[in-house]
This record gives sequence, C-alpha cells and structure tokens, in this order.
Amino acid sequence: MTTQDPHPVSGTFPRSDDEIAARVKAMESILVEKDLIASDAIDYMSSVFENELGPHLGARATARAWVDPEFKLLLLADGTAACREIDIGGIQGEEMIVLENTEDVHNVVVCTLCSCYPWPVLGLPPNWYKYPAYRSRAVRDPRGVMAEFGFDPGDDVEVKVWDSSAELRYWVLPRRPEGTEGWSEEELAALVTRDSLLGLTDATTPE
Amino acid sequence: MTLPPMNEVIPPEVRERLERLVDELPYNEEIPRRSGDVAFNHAWEIRAFAIATAMADDGAFDWREFQRELIRSVQAWESNNDSTTGWSYYDRWMEALEKLLGDKGMLDAEELDRRTAEVLATPANTHHHPPAREPVAIVPSRAGEGRPLE
Repeated sequence: MTTQDPHPVSGTFPRSDDEIAARVKAMESILVEKDLIASDAIDYMSSVFENELGPHLGARATARAWVDPEFKLLLLADGTAACREIDIGGIQGEEMIVLENTEDVHNVVVCTLCSCYPWPVLGLPPNWYKYPAYRSRAVRDPRGVMAEFGFDPGDDVEVKVWDSSAELRYWVLPRRPEGTEGWSEEELAALVTRDSLLGLTDATTPE
Repeated sequence: MTLPPMNEVIPPEVRERLERLVDELPYNEEIPRRSGDVAFNHAWEIRAFAIATAMADDGAFDWREFQRELIRSVQAWESNNDSTTGWSYYDRWMEALEKLLGDKGMLDAEELDRRTAEVLATPANTHHHPPAREPVAIVPSRAGEGRPLE
C-alpha cells in the first residue's frame, strides 16, 4: 500500500472487452450487495433502452431465410455455419440451432437453469428471462406465457419448448407473415421482433 | 417479490423522464446511436449505462455530478490521445462512474479490482448446463396442459 491514488484512472484503459465486461459485472454485484442499488432497478433501466440493442442480426438472418431457400436449408441444418456465412459470429465454440415454426409446430425457447441467451443474435434478453418463476412457467405452461404476449399459436398447433444452454443456444425462425410477397430483405427484417425469435409471438404482420 | 408482467410495457412518462437524462449528457453528439436512438454494441455497455442512470434516478447521486466526471474523463482522454483510435464513449462512461462512486465512498477501487479478477477467473460454464438436444416440454395440439419431460 502506498499513499498514492490506488486507482490510476488514466492507466486503467484501454481494457479488453472481457476485462471491462467483468469489471461492469463486478461493480454491479458490489453495489447490489451493499444495497446501493437494486438489481431490479438496473434491469428496468436496461429494458427502457434495450430495444436499441435490438435483434438486428437475428432479424437479418430470418429475412434472408425467408427469401433464400438455400440459405434457409443451411440455417436449419447448421445455424452456426449459416450465420457465419452472413458475418454473424457467435461466441467462440458456441453452437446455435435454429428451430423452424411451421403450420403444425410452434417452438419456444427458454433457459431453465440460468439465462443463457444468444444476445449477439437476439439483442438483450427480456427481463423475465432470468427470473426462475418465469423460466419454469415457460416449461409448464408455454401457451399461458404466449397469451401474456397477446399471442395464440392456435389449438391445432403442437408447442415445443427448448432449453438453451451456454454450449447450445436455440432461436426460432418465425413464419413469414402473409402479404409480404416481393418485399425486400430489409423490409422483411423490420417485421422480426425479439419476441418472435424466442417463439413468444409470430413476426409482425404488415398492416 | 412481485414480478412485473412478462411483456412489461414502459409507460411513456417514465421513458420521457429517463430519456431526458440522456439528453442532458455531455458530449451528447459522441453517444453511439442508430436511427437517432441510443445504441449499444456490447452487453456491458448497456449494463454500465443502466447502473449509472438507475442510481441517479434513485437519488444515489446527482446526475450533474456524473456529468462533471464524464466531462473530466473525456477531456483527460482527449489530452492524452491525438487521434480517435481507441475512442470509446462507454470506456469513458465506466471510468467516470468508477471515479464518482469511489469519491462518494460507495465503491472501493481495490475491492472492485479484486471482484473483477474473481469474475475473470470464473469459468463461463461454472453453472454447468449441459446441452439439451430434445425439447424440455411438448404441448400437443388441442391441449391446454403442459407435459414437462424429465
């Protein structure tokens, strides 16, 4: 210990992304432990601004799959490779599986254990994604959960719930909305929401 | 704890109040944006952003105090760098936040260093969650009840 400033501000930067991400996480955990701020309040604040880190990449991949049958085949066969093809990199070593919604099957993604979430593709997770109560509910009553999002996949559709983990992450390829024939990829991507990539809703139907 | 509804909608008046915090930020033109809205390129950026705004909104410090630290941090960076290489708004943000919380006695720099080292040393897969290649539940069509698979 010296009497010098123990925190030489200008010397601590630049940091690698891993380092600074760890530092932010460490700061949050200390502040929450000391009761200086509630974790919920930070979550809430993130959710106010979260759509700004939106599901741009997942939306782009989805729109491409809607217009390009070959890409769609690849996306469903090997999500990681397909995304790499359009310059969407996952975290290293991470496998992605893309689940196709059809007339007969609707897929929903949760992480039952923690909050494994492919945020580079989907944007930030919704707040509830990490609450145990919600996670177990998505397994027990996925139709009820979808109803909270104002969505009903229809009684004649089978609902499958998939458990995302750190090594194997799922996301959903929603069905292409009707009335979008001839739309550009960019226009189509705008219809793809985060919730639809988790299977909580369909993609937005154009007015 | 009462959980908010899953599809929680932010009331417009709350959004306005919080967006005003952003409008008042120094070096506003330096804030990364997409289509005019505040944008984040990394998850840690929005987390750092949310810690500062949530604490200010909660009254832990005055927003102007944070603004002053942010100005200092940006100015110090500019006087030590003669190009924009390596510039990051949220690096400066984090530096300002650490300094402010340190000055206020809310955060000890050594404790933060120590905790950061712990976070870095914790393998990403500590809560090991093995890959699940089959659905965890299937709700057959024309049925309302879940059937969790063990």
